[in-house]
Amino acid sequence: MLLENTSLALASLQSNKLRTMLTMLGIIIGIAAVIAIVTIGNSMTRSMQEMMASFGVNNIDLYAFSEGEAEEEQTQPFSFKQEWLEDMLEEFPGEIKTVSVDSSIGSATLEHNGKTVNTDVIGVSAGYLVAKDVELIAGKSISSMAYSIGTWDCIVSDLFVELALGVSPEQAVGKSVELNLSGSGLQELHISGVYHFDFDSWVMNYGDRTAKREEVSTEVYIPYRTAQEFMDAPDELSYFTVVATEGTDTTDLAERLMKFFNDKIPDETHYTCESYSMQSMIDENNKSMGQMTLAISLIAGIALLVGGIGVMNIMMVSITERTREIGTRKALGAPNSAIRIQFITEAIILCLIGGVIGIVLGIIFGMIGSKLMGYNGEIAVWSIFFAMGFSMLIGVFFGYYPANKAAKMDPILALSYE
Amino acid sequence: MSLIRLENIIKKYHEGEENELEVLHGVGLNIEEGEFVSIVGESGSGKSTLMNIIGLLDRPNSGSYFLNGQDVSETTDNERSRIRNQQIGFVFQTYNLIPRTTAVSNVEVPMMYAGVPKRERTERAQWLLERVGMKERMQHRPEELSGGQKQRVAIARAMANSPAILLADEPTGALDSQTGRSIMDLFHELNEKEHRTIVLITHSLPLSEETQRILTLMDGRIIGDRKGKYASGKH
Ligand SMILES: Nc1ncnc2c1ncn2[C@@H]1O[C@H](COP(=O)(O)OP(=O)(O)OP(=O)(O)O)[C@@H](O)[C@H]1O
Ligand SMILES: [Mg+2]
Repeated sequence: MLLENTSLALASLQSNKLRTMLTMLGIIIGIAAVIAIVTIGNSMTRSMQEMMASFGVNNIDLYAFSEGEAEEEQTQPFSFKQEWLEDMLEEFPGEIKTVSVDSSIGSATLEHNGKTVNTDVIGVSAGYLVAKDVELIAGKSISSMAYSIGTWDCIVSDLFVELALGVSPEQAVGKSVELNLSGSGLQELHISGVYHFDFDSWVMNYGDRTAKREEVSTEVYIPYRTAQEFMDAPDELSYFTVVATEGTDTTDLAERLMKFFNDKIPDETHYTCESYSMQSMIDENNKSMGQMTLAISLIAGIALLVGGIGVMNIMMVSITERTREIGTRKALGAPNSAIRIQFITEAIILCLIGGVIGIVLGIIFGMIGSKLMGYNGEIAVWSIFFAMGFSMLIGVFFGYYPANKAAKMDPILALSYE
Repeated sequence: MSLIRLENIIKKYHEGEENELEVLHGVGLNIEEGEFVSIVGESGSGKSTLMNIIGLLDRPNSGSYFLNGQDVSETTDNERSRIRNQQIGFVFQTYNLIPRTTAVSNVEVPMMYAGVPKRERTERAQWLLERVGMKERMQHRPEELSGGQKQRVAIARAMANSPAILLADEPTGALDSQTGRSIMDLFHELNEKEHRTIVLITHSLPLSEETQRILTLMDGRIIGDRKGKYASGKH
C-alpha cells in the first residue's frame, strides 16, 4: 500500500511539475537556510577545534594596552613587573601549570655549503615549550640551570639541522653552531634539543604557497635570560602566557587574572590589562554564531511556515481536482483511513522532495559560505537526517487537514462532482 | 432469502430545510441471487438514488435494508466500505477509471483495499482484463483508451473481488449502440456463467427487455415489475 501510495503521489506530482516546484519553494528555501547555517557553524566549530589543538586550550594570554593617547604608550612603556608574576603564582596555586614568556631578538643566518640558512632567535622561558606544545624529536630541553644563568644552549628545528649541518636530528644534539646575529656578530650556540618543523602546516597557516622549504626561517629558542642581553629594555614585559592546569575553567581564570593585574597596575597610568583565552574566544564566537543562527532560523521558520501553508493550499487544490477519483475509490471500498493516508503520503513526498533539494542547496551554500569565512567546509551529517525528518513532519502537519477533508467526502457528491 | 431486500425506503434530500425534497417514497424491493434486473424510468424518477442506496453509497432517511439477510441499515462508514469492497461491484456511465493509472493498476484497486498481496492481484487483474477482451491494452492509461475499452476495464475492476452483486448505472449510456451491445453481452455472460446478480439502470428499452426482470420507477415509486420479453435466463 505504501508503495502504491508513493508511486501514485509521484505520478500526481509529476503531472503538474511547475505547480509542484512552486509549492516546494518555501520548503526548499527554509531547509536550505537551516542546512547552510548548520554547515557553516559546524565548519567553524571544527576549525576552532583544530586551532585549539595547535594553540593550546589551556593558554591564557595577558597583555596591557593604553586607553590614553598614543604618545603615552611611547613615552611611558608599560611592563608587567617580575614580582607581580611571582605574586600571581602565589595567588592562584594549583590553577597555573606554568608561565610562558618570549621575546624575539631578531634574525640570524648561517652559511653552509655556500647557501644561507635563515633563523629567528627567540628568548623563551621554560614554560614556552609547554604553552606552544613544542615537542622534541631528539635531545632534551634546556636545563633549568641554563635558564637561570643564561647560557647559549638552544633548541633548533629539524629543518635547520638538515640545512645547516646536513645531519640527522640525533647527530645534531650536542653539536655547536655559529650563528650570525644581525647587528651583534657571530655567536656560538650548543644544540640541546631538536623539534619537528611541519612545513606543510606552516604553508597552510601562513598561506604562502610560493615559499620554498630551503628558504623558510625557522625558530631557534634560547633561554630568556640570555636573550635579555640583546634587548633594549630587558626588564620590559609587555605580554606573557599563563598555562592553566588541566581541568581549570580558563574563561573564569582569565577573568580573575585580568582583575588581579588591573589591581596591580598603578592608577596614574592609563594602562589596562586584558586577558585572552582560547576558551573565551570560542565562547565569544559561539555567542555571535548563536545570534546568527537565531536570525537565520527565524527566516527559515517563516519560509517553512509559508512553505507548509503552500503545501496545504496545493493539497486542497489537488483534492478538489481529484474529487471524482476520491469518490470512485470510496465506491470501490477504500475506507476513510486509506484516503487519508494516500493524501498525507502525497504531502510528505512533496515536502521530502523539497527537503532533499533544500539539503543539496544548503550544503552547497554552506560550503561556499564556510570557504568565504576562511573555514574548511564540514557537513554536519545529523542536520541532513534532521532536515529529512522535519520535512516529513511538515508534510504530515500541513497535509493532515486536506487529507482528512478528502477522507470525509460524501462518496455520492464526490462521484457526481463536475 | 433474498440477496437484496428493501423495505419502505424513504429518501429525502435537504431534510428539514426549506427545499426539502422527497425522492423515494417508501420503496420496497426483493432481488434474488443470480437475477439480472433492470431499472427503467424517466429522468429524475430516482433510479440513481435507489441504486446508491442498494450500493451502500448513500443512506435512506428511513426504511430497512437487508443484504444477504443481514440488516445493513445501521452500519458504520467503515463497515459499508468493507461491504462495498467485498460484495458490490460498480460500473458507472462515465467509467470513473482512475486517471494516469494503467488498466491493470485500475483493476487492482479494489484488491489493494482488500489487502490482497501485490503479485496475486496483478495476476488476477491480468486474468480479468483478458476475460473482458483487454489483453492487448493492459498497460494503457485511461487517457489512451476508447469509451468501450474504458467500460471493459471498469467491468473487470468491478469483478476484482468477485462480488455477489454488480450495479451498473447506465453503463452503455455514453457508448454507440454497437459498443453498447458488446458491453451488454459481457453482462449476460457474467450473469449466466458466473451467476452474478446484476442490477442495471438503462434508458434503452430494447436492452431492458433482454433482462430477466424489469422494474419501472416513477416519481420515487416502483410502478411496474415484470419479466423481460426477450430474457434468455434459465431462472
Ligand atoms: N444531491 C442531491 N441533492 C438534491 N437533490 C438531488 C440530489 N441528487 C439527486 N437529487 C434529485 O433527486 C431526484 C432523483 O434523482 P436521480 O439522480 O435519482 O434520478 P435518475 O432517475 O437517476 O435520473 P437520470 O435518469 O436522469 O439519471 C432528482 O429530482 C434530482 O434532482
Ligand atoms: Mg441517474
